[in-house]
Amino acid sequence: MFSQASHNSRVTPVDPVAGSPELLVRISELIEDLSADHVDLLKAFHRIQHEFGYLPHEAVPLLAGKFRTTPAIIFGTIDFYSEVRTAPAAETTVEWCSGPACLLKGSLNIRRALEAILECEMNRTSSNGNFGLRLVQCDGTCHLAPLVRQDGRYIGPLTVSESIEWARRLKGEDGAVQTEGEGAPAEEESSQTAQKVESE
Amino acid sequence: MTLPTYKEMWQQADEVWTRTARAARTLIKVGVATCSRVVGAEETLETLRREVQARRLDADVMLTGCLGLCYAEPLVEVIRPNVPGILYQLMTADKVASLLETAVAADGNAREHALAVMGDKEFGGLPALGSLEFMRGQVRRLMANCGVTDPESIDHYLARGGYEGLVGALRLKPVEVIDEVKKSGLWGRGGAAFSTGLKWEFLYNAKRKPKYLICNADEGDPGSFVNRNLMESDPQLLVEGMIIGGYATEADKGCIYIRDEYPLPVERMELAVAQARERGLVGEGILGSDFSFELEVVRGAGSYVCGDETGLLSSLEDRRGMPKIKPPFPAQAGVFAMPSNINNVESYTNVPLIMRHGADWWAEMGSEKHKGTKMFSLSGQIQRVGILEVPLGTPTSDVVMRMGGGPPKGRKLKAVQPGGPLSGVIPASDVDIPLEPDPYRERGVLMGSGGLVILDDTNCIVDLCVYFEWFAEDESCGRCTTCFAGTRRMLEILRRISSGRGRLADLELIKLLGSIAQNANCFHGQGAPTAVMSMFRFFEGELLEHVERKRCPAKVCRGLVRYEVLHHSDRLPAAEAICPTNAVVRDNGTYRIDQLKCIKCDACREQAPYAIAVVDEFAPA
Repeated sequence: MFSQASHNSRVTPVDPVAGSPELLVRISELIEDLSADHVDLLKAFHRIQHEFGYLPHEAVPLLAGKFRTTPAIIFGTIDFYSEVRTAPAAETTVEWCSGPACLLKGSLNIRRALEAILECEMNRTSSNGNFGLRLVQCDGTCHLAPLVRQDGRYIGPLTVSESIEWARRLKGEDGAVQTEGEGAPAEEESSQTAQKVESE
Repeated sequence: MTLPTYKEMWQQADEVWTRTARAARTLIKVGVATCSRVVGAEETLETLRREVQARRLDADVMLTGCLGLCYAEPLVEVIRPNVPGILYQLMTADKVASLLETAVAADGNAREHALAVMGDKEFGGLPALGSLEFMRGQVRRLMANCGVTDPESIDHYLARGGYEGLVGALRLKPVEVIDEVKKSGLWGRGGAAFSTGLKWEFLYNAKRKPKYLICNADEGDPGSFVNRNLMESDPQLLVEGMIIGGYATEADKGCIYIRDEYPLPVERMELAVAQARERGLVGEGILGSDFSFELEVVRGAGSYVCGDETGLLSSLEDRRGMPKIKPPFPAQAGVFAMPSNINNVESYTNVPLIMRHGADWWAEMGSEKHKGTKMFSLSGQIQRVGILEVPLGTPTSDVVMRMGGGPPKGRKLKAVQPGGPLSGVIPASDVDIPLEPDPYRERGVLMGSGGLVILDDTNCIVDLCVYFEWFAEDESCGRCTTCFAGTRRMLEILRRISSGRGRLADLELIKLLGSIAQNANCFHGQGAPTAVMSMFRFFEGELLEHVERKRCPAKVCRGLVRYEVLHHSDRLPAAEAICPTNAVVRDNGTYRIDQLKCIKCDACREQAPYAIAVVDEFAPA
């Protein structure tokens, strides 16, 4: 809808790129109706990320061509936004809320415990590739503080002990494997701050 | 295709609304918004729909927005014919069956789940919603539809007086609309508190076309979620506000920039814009006039500085969202170098109310200098987390201590952070000041966008400042050295202090960094040291305790405390079992903590609170 082209000097050579032809065709299809200077780059990121779960690096030259700019500028833009991921997510991603409400209620303790149990640093993937820990920003669900999210499910309010037990179940220790809607041990259900596990 | 006139539209909408809200059968409303969705409101809605059908009950189930009582979500309201609606709290899907049995089928009240009766009068022994501490003193103008209408239905909005303001505005000249907004005294709700009418006049006076009207819904301040609630509970209000703004400033295109972390508001705003377009309220020749206005929803991708007005402009221009250098101001050269105006969600949503009821009615509320109402969100160490709307000038203590219920039982209020990590904090002794920009500014604090985060005596101010500085550093765009390097340096110094290696010279360094930061281009850099400066002003004693005596009074700072087994207790085996790093060690039947392994996660103390204690790392024994 925005139609004021103001960057006429931006000319982009589209590099021949490595990567499977199917992937390139699919990406081209996704961004076909978009154009430069129409507030479309963010839309392109979201579409590609929605399709593949991340933004493959093969998309960069295509985007640069589409948006009449250089791959470097596209890289810079991707790098700027924290919600645009450039690598596939781990099988299970645990998202840790960094917001102030969680912080004041002890989320740093939970972070230390999760990092120790999942053997994984924040914003990294564990060495076996099974778990990823990701730092996310507050989205105002502060009545659940301190909370973690697992693949879109919100879990909170958590005590450190609860988060440790939860992470161990997630990892498959203690015998039991966590599945949705069950697996909460009896003692936890009886406690005042029982886990509230719901799907998004 | 001929588009319906406003009157036809209203009549049709009124029929729809009457059919649902004043029907002779029971109406069950389920509030589904981000805050209730995470505790299972969607399952509740689905289960209710399924069960009502399965039990062949004479009842309708309706989706609605959020009332703002986050602490009691999911909320279900049951309205039986000729009886005021009863609000049931914490209604997860498993409680649906018992609710239907007692409250709908058997014509009684599910008393154990009931929270209140809608309205101001008590009924059947249940308190009125308006008499709850959380609600008493609130003035719900912006939130009038929140939790009452279906946010996904434009008819509900129309039937309750929606778009009346637009019809009124279209009868006036654009300048007259601006005058009305100016007369009301509405100022920008995003934090800068600049007059909205004046800002609109700048854009109106700009000559070049096309002009852009942009809504800043990139509510990035962690701990504030008022815009989110408005967008997902009453999206049409923002659409109407944007259209009126477009008319008043003669803008051609509108754009609502919503942050990536808010998927539901994006969904609902897109739907609202599509519905408005269907009715001819967005697009060519709005309501038969010759005014045309396009509206689009843009989803961000996770960046805090895109909430700065020029950062947002850069983001719209397919680039890194780095704030631009002013001047030129957006009204001269904004998005794509064209005249633009940027306002917060709350600023736009106030305009339909001003146009509908008049500036005088609108200005009845509020204090001498600051008119109108303002929404605030409460989070942190508070009993009732939620969203509320109060007249400006309401004492902060009234909102925090009475409506919010104050910190959890047995704890004392320590400080209030009024709006975002760049806003600073006020101490508990100042909590009586009115909620309006001036008293906060006198204390070197910015009232900001209205996300009140409450600290109690278990929280450490240095720890909080480390967080704020980390946040500022993490989200810095990288343009100004004073910001990207200054915040990093500040973070290093604060981390040094919180780990016990602080020295007195650091205090001077921090102050120096704080004054250098004022040279940054945008408010992100300038505001970065605000919290640290408030710490100097109000909590110097606590800071000195960290630096001089290497002690954290609240026992939070990781480098200044250690865990020790002080007594024996039966809970110690549980502590040993929970420890994620096997740092609780048993030697010949007695327990001790292996300090090299301990990561200070507090789990063992939770398990054995009597036996294990947090002690000062450097204090004399």
